[in-house]
Formats: sequence, C-alpha cells, structure tokens
Amino acid sequence: MDLYVAAFGFGLVGMSVIAIAAVGFTMQFGITNMINLAYGEVMISSAYVAYYVNKAGITIWVGMIAGALFGAVFSFLLNRFVYAPFQRKGTSHIGMVIVSLAVSLMIANLLLPIVGYYSVSYQDTTGGLLRAGGIVLTTNQIAIIGVAVVLMLLIHGLLRYTRLGKAMRATAANPTLARNCGIPTQRVIDSVWLITGALCGLAGVVAAMDSDSFAISNGAGFLITALAAAVLGGAGQPYGAMIGAVIIGMITELSAAAWAPEYKEVVAFGILVLVMVLRPQGLLSKRGALAAAG
Amino acid sequence: MNSYYAANLLVYAGVDIIALLALNLQFGVSGIVNFSFIVFQAVGAYTAAVLSMPPDTTFGYEFQVYFGGYHLPFPIPWIGGAIAGGFLAIPVGLVVLRKLRSDYQAIALLVLSIITNEVITNARPFLNGAAGLALVPQPLSDVIDPNTETYQYFYVAITAVCVVLVFVVANRIVNSPYGRSLRAMREREIAAIAIGKNPVQLKMTVFIVGGVIAGLSGAILVGFIQLWAPSVWLYPETIILFAAIIVGGRGNNVGAILGALLVPVGFEEVTRFIPSSFGPPGLIPALQWVAIGLLIIGFLWFRPEGVRPEPRHVFEGAPVREDLEDARAS
Repeated sequence: MDLYVAAFGFGLVGMSVIAIAAVGFTMQFGITNMINLAYGEVMISSAYVAYYVNKAGITIWVGMIAGALFGAVFSFLLNRFVYAPFQRKGTSHIGMVIVSLAVSLMIANLLLPIVGYYSVSYQDTTGGLLRAGGIVLTTNQIAIIGVAVVLMLLIHGLLRYTRLGKAMRATAANPTLARNCGIPTQRVIDSVWLITGALCGLAGVVAAMDSDSFAISNGAGFLITALAAAVLGGAGQPYGAMIGAVIIGMITELSAAAWAPEYKEVVAFGILVLVMVLRPQGLLSKRGALAAAG
Repeated sequence: MNSYYAANLLVYAGVDIIALLALNLQFGVSGIVNFSFIVFQAVGAYTAAVLSMPPDTTFGYEFQVYFGGYHLPFPIPWIGGAIAGGFLAIPVGLVVLRKLRSDYQAIALLVLSIITNEVITNARPFLNGAAGLALVPQPLSDVIDPNTETYQYFYVAITAVCVVLVFVVANRIVNSPYGRSLRAMREREIAAIAIGKNPVQLKMTVFIVGGVIAGLSGAILVGFIQLWAPSVWLYPETIILFAAIIVGGRGNNVGAILGALLVPVGFEEVTRFIPSSFGPPGLIPALQWVAIGLLIIGFLWFRPEGVRPEPRHVFEGAPVREDLEDARAS
C-alpha cells in the first residue's frame, strides 16, 4: 500500500510535467492548426541548453529560464522559416505532418554530434526530502509542481482575461473572420509560437529534471506522453490537455508501481488507443479527431 | 566490385522496391499515411525467422530465446511472413482507419511504431529482446551451399521473381476500377462517398494488401541477412521510405521503383563511400539522416509531385482542366 501512496506523490510530479508539455502542444495545434511532431525534439534540445548552463556552474533554475527562452525562439523560427511558408503554399494537413516529422528527424540528428549518445544529468542538489503521510518528495519535485500550477494559472488568465488571449481564441475559431475583424492574426500566431515554445522548452527542462538522466532518444517518449494527454483531453483544448495530463500522469506512475517502470509510455499509448476507439474527439472537444481536416 | 557486394546490393534493391510498391499503394494511391510501415516489414521478418528456425533448445541456438521454431522448408516461411503482415493490418486498421481524421491516423501509426519497438526491445522472452534473432537459416540452404557465388545469384533470382510478381499485382490494382476508387477517395473522400464508395472498406483492403506485401519484403530481407533486431526497424526507417515515395513520385508504381533506386539504394550507397574518419564518430550517419530530412522538405517545397509525376488519367472526349480554365477565362 505504501508503494501506491509513494506512486501517488510521483504521479503529482508526473502530471505537472505532462501538463506543461501538453498545454503547449495542444495550443500550437488549436490555434495555428499545426501538428508539430518536432515538439519532443525541441523539448530535448531545450533540456540540453539548460544542461550546458547548469554545467557552467549556474543553478538549474536559471538553466530552466534559458531552456524556456531557447524553446520560444527556436519554435518561433521553426514556424517562421519552415511551417508558415509551407502553410501559405497550401500544403495539406498530411503534408504538414510529414514536414514536421522530417524536421524532428533533422533536429535529433543535428543535435547528436554536438551532445553525443550518452545520458547526462543535471548537477544540482536535489534538496531535502519532504514527507507528508507516506508521500516522499524532494524540494525540487515540489518546486516542479509549483511551477506547473503557476503556469496553468497564467495560461488560464491569458486566455480568459487578456486581449491577446481573446485574439488567440478568435484566431483558433476562424482565422479569416478574425483577420477581417481587424485582429492582426500574423502577430497573434507569432506570439502563440513564442508562448507555446517557452512552455515546450520549460517542459523539456522539467521532464529532464524529473527523470534522473536523459539522452536524445528521450525526445520520442516526451512527444508520446504530450500527445496522449492532448488527444485524451481533446486536441486543441488547453483545459482538456490539463485534464488529460492529470489522468495520464497519475495512471502511468501508478502502473509503474504496479507493473514495470519501463512500460510507462506503453501505458500512455494504451490510453491513447482507448481514447481513439471510444471517444476520438477527446474529453472536452466536440470536433477533435472526427471532423474532416481543414 | 565483388559478386557478394553486387548480390547484396541487388537483394536490398529488390526488398526496397517491393516495400515501396506496397507503401505507394497505401500512401501514394490511397492517401493513408502509414507511419508504422516498418512494423509490418518487421512482423513479416520475425514470422519468417521463427518459422524457418529450429526450436530454441537446438544445439547452437540456445543463446537466444524465442517462441515457435518450426523449422519449416522454403517457401512456407515467406508465405507465413506475408500472411502475418496482412493479419497485423486487420486490428491496426480497425482501430486507426475507421473514424479518425487523416492526420490523427498518421500520428496514431507513428506512435504505434515507436511503442511496438520499445515493447519488443524490452520483452526478451518473446523474441529475444534488444539482441534480436540471429542465425536465421537461409532458404533452401540444405539444397545449395549458401557460401557459394551460385547461391548469391540464386537469392537475387528469387527476389527478382517476387519483385515482378508484386509489380504485376500492384499495377493491376492501380489500373483497375478498384484503383480508381482508391484515387477518388484520396482526392476527395466526400465525393467518393457521394458516388457510393465505402471509404472504410477501401482503406481496410488496401491496408491489408499493403501489409501482406510489406510482410513479404521483410521475410526476403531476413532470409538474406540472417539476423533481425529491433534496432534495424526504428521508426526513422519508415521516413526513408516516405522520402523515396515523395522523391520518386506519389501514386505511380514506376515512381515508386524510381524512388527505391534513388533514395534507399542510391543515396545510401553513395554516402557509404564518405570516409567515416571524417569528424567525430557518428557524424556521418547523423548527417545522412539530416540529408533525408532535407530531401523530403526540399522536394515537398520545390517539386511535390516528385521526379516522375503521377500520370493524369484523361478520358477521350472529356474536358481537360486547362480547357475548362481557358473557357472560363474567355
């Protein structure tokens, strides 16, 4: 029983990590209509940026900000110079998926000669242990949960109460109509890539902190869990992604305690398949996976 | 150039051509983005391997664990591999192809490919885990000594027979009324439904046919190289095949063959001769992958129809698109 209580604590951390990643992913899809399969590789690149900052003797929390900035700029440039030109050209949905997969392959293999095959880990004190009724977490893990909660509140505030958030929702609903109403959709989309890129970068660093060590090959796993949470919640729905992250994070950690930790992603995949069979539109979406593309 | 190298090149070319004809049926003709294509090849290869290998308690084979081990004579393992590929397509197709939007289909298949590889790598008792299967017997090796030049060319010959067979079948499919339905569905699914076509049925059948051919290509390859491990069927291998289809020209079988000769065969053979002492270890293979990515993006940008575009099927007397545009302009 103690094992499951401890796993519940890890589940809290896991869902925080997944929530940051999945909200960024689903916002990219919902607002810019782009399934960015390079998301996992941008995450891992940002984790490495934080690694080099950390290696220079600076605390990982500064590294986290560096990773977020890198993720933001990288995603912005990726959209500006690759995705947006293809979208303007009228490339089909499927064409865009193939383009993003090619980009993902290129990022991973450009990174490989720079950082090498071997796993690395951040050098940092993990902080003291905190105990609360059977749940044992390090202060770093508590901090990760805190970061996630603050970020989710910020995203909620952004979408609900700011002009930019309103413009984002309008652009997501109907880009042409939004433009005709005087919303600078181009600038809105640029800011979406900056914001979601920052989330992506942050998620990469946090995910790397949460797993003891990481390597380039982790990029695919990061992508799968983010995808599973986003699809479960309903693609393009930030609040759905948060719910999806809670469910996936908790189930994967509990299954790791009950079964075997190396099959965490398999469990995430199992949930993904179940959702696709039983409720392809996801928990919160009316449209989601069912509607015709475009 | 020795004969072993030549035979090696020819068998690989044959396997790639067969695989690309199958992928062209799915992706090129029908528009199904099968990102887990390599899994179907892998399943065919594993099936052929366990059908032709002796039980894992046999002397010389005890260092690996696997199920099966039926030691069946050629060509049963190859047929078994093809059937296994087709059987795998049924559950996968039923989950993925029935309700989902096409981009979700692509994602689901990509994730399937990553996860399957992970499971097989970690689950050792099933198919020997990450180490994979080795010492797979070569077809008819008890009749002809496999270490001779004759056997190499014999293998090239049976591969060639399969290539011709698959090419004829693929051509029949593409040029049949069924092939026209597939193209109609690819171009505009709603229009295809409106004229009474059942897209789920069309997709399922072409998915199964493609699975059968993919399984066969895996079986041919494993019989030749005699080993099969999860590290050779990672999902990027599927991306190479997509690059080949995009380069060669989507939707026509000649384009698929051209793509096979240009990308998996030509491109990899050319870059093989770059001295590997250049740069840090692993640089050249990494740059090969980058080049594959650039090839896809470059072709989709500059020449999305590929080197050999799909011929437009125009029927005598039917108005051609340009004529209609002229008529509208005047």
